[in-house]
Amino acid sequence: MSGSPLVEIDKASKIYRSPRGATTAIADVTVQIGDGEFVAVVGPSGCGKCTLLKCVAGLEPLSSGEIRVRGERVDGPPDGLGAVFQRDVLMDWRTALDNVLLPAEFLGLRRADFLPRARELLGLVGLADRANSYPWELSGGMRQRVAIARALLCRPVFLLMDEPFGALDALTRDELNVELQRIWLAEKNTVLFITHGIEEAVFLADRVLVMDRDPGRVALDLEVALPRPRPIAVRDEPAFAAHTAKVRAAMPRAGASRAA
Amino acid sequence: MSGGASFRAHLVDTLWVVGVFAFVCAVWEFAVKAFDLPVFVLPPVEDVVADLLSAPGLFASHALFTVGMALAGFAVAASVGLLMAFAVVSSRILDRILMTFLALLHSVPKVALAPLFVIWLGAGFEPKIAIAAMMSVLVIVVDAVAGLRSVDPEMVNLARVYRASPLAIMLKVRLPAALPHIFASWKVAISLSLIGAIVGEYVGGQRGLGYLILVSQGSFDTPRVFASVLLLSVIATALYYLIALAERMFAPWHVSRRAGGH
Repeated sequence: MSGSPLVEIDKASKIYRSPRGATTAIADVTVQIGDGEFVAVVGPSGCGKCTLLKCVAGLEPLSSGEIRVRGERVDGPPDGLGAVFQRDVLMDWRTALDNVLLPAEFLGLRRADFLPRARELLGLVGLADRANSYPWELSGGMRQRVAIARALLCRPVFLLMDEPFGALDALTRDELNVELQRIWLAEKNTVLFITHGIEEAVFLADRVLVMDRDPGRVALDLEVALPRPRPIAVRDEPAFAAHTAKVRAAMPRAGASRAA
Repeated sequence: MSGGASFRAHLVDTLWVVGVFAFVCAVWEFAVKAFDLPVFVLPPVEDVVADLLSAPGLFASHALFTVGMALAGFAVAASVGLLMAFAVVSSRILDRILMTFLALLHSVPKVALAPLFVIWLGAGFEPKIAIAAMMSVLVIVVDAVAGLRSVDPEMVNLARVYRASPLAIMLKVRLPAALPHIFASWKVAISLSLIGAIVGEYVGGQRGLGYLILVSQGSFDTPRVFASVLLLSVIATALYYLIALAERMFAPWHVSRRAGGH
């Protein structure tokens, strides 16, 4: 599955300084992500997983260490990036279709060139008939689908997903997990997926990284060798449970250390 | 949300307004009759209306001038205010400088500055526009800054992921998000601009409803003073609804969500 590493995170550390002292969000994180690999990061809140994602996106500078994408040092958002955040951050003043087209506008590309692609993506996420709906007319699940379509518009090589389904109910979440897998199998992007759901991580990923907190670091790097496409019922199989058990064992116990 | 219910609510609202207005007129009329007040103190309602109808051309031309001054001042304040808000949000240094300057301006009773503007700009339309603009610029800047800063930081992050320029982030992300705030400030600003225009007409020049009030007062033509004031309140209300209409056209997502959300 994995080819040459697309992303190299090399002894990355991030320290936030405030008048009340310094907080180490992540310390000495070293991870490689192969081309086309789906990597999920799980961990409790305050383990620095979101910080890691922001640094990989080039939205925040590292305190020390280096992140390279395609061998190039990240210093601002790299080429071919797509992103989905926990909040869908759709623009209320734009229709679903116009929201999907946003990356092209920001990247300074011609909107018209991406119109067919935008419609195709809305179809891919099951919203072909809602292209002209405004965000407030859509349910939470639909809004997050639009956000996914938006992230895929410019055929990103590398997709960052920061707890994209965290705010959704369990049923919608399962549904979107299955759809995301289907989309990923079709689009073949490299994905870095942040979540606090162990089942979600094992279901989606080729590799699950478990992060510990104080300071944020990688506690476990687990290969998930379950065949694709995985049906939602895969979660009832012993092989799946074996994976989740390993992840759960590596998770820092609740209350064992102070919350950040 | 249903059209029928909202229409009925509208009708009830309107009936209340008309009712209260009629009550005020009745008390007014009663006071004039009961206390036998002279016309130059409190003219009866019908005298005021009769005066309005006796010289529609005169009232219209003065009213048009005042509206023109108020709208011009408002337009200056709205555009300068928005540019200032962009500057404040973009740079910490400009934030400090401009906000200090505006707080200073705010601490001065602006009406007290009106005679100065006549000295500086003469008795034409310039001082009136300047005073009208000065009256309303502060509320516009403060609300626009709050609006531009109210945008979800995650939305700005998303734009940065796609390498949006600072200008694109300002115009495509922050500005639309700020529109509800901006329109709210405009609703206040438009009536402040009208006050500014009238103050400007009080201190210089020979046109506008402010001027008309001043000369009518000089000749104890109280019905005409009342007629001008009445006309001004109608104008203020109309200008307010003009802004509300613009809001409906340019920020429909906000208006419809407000209607549906509560």
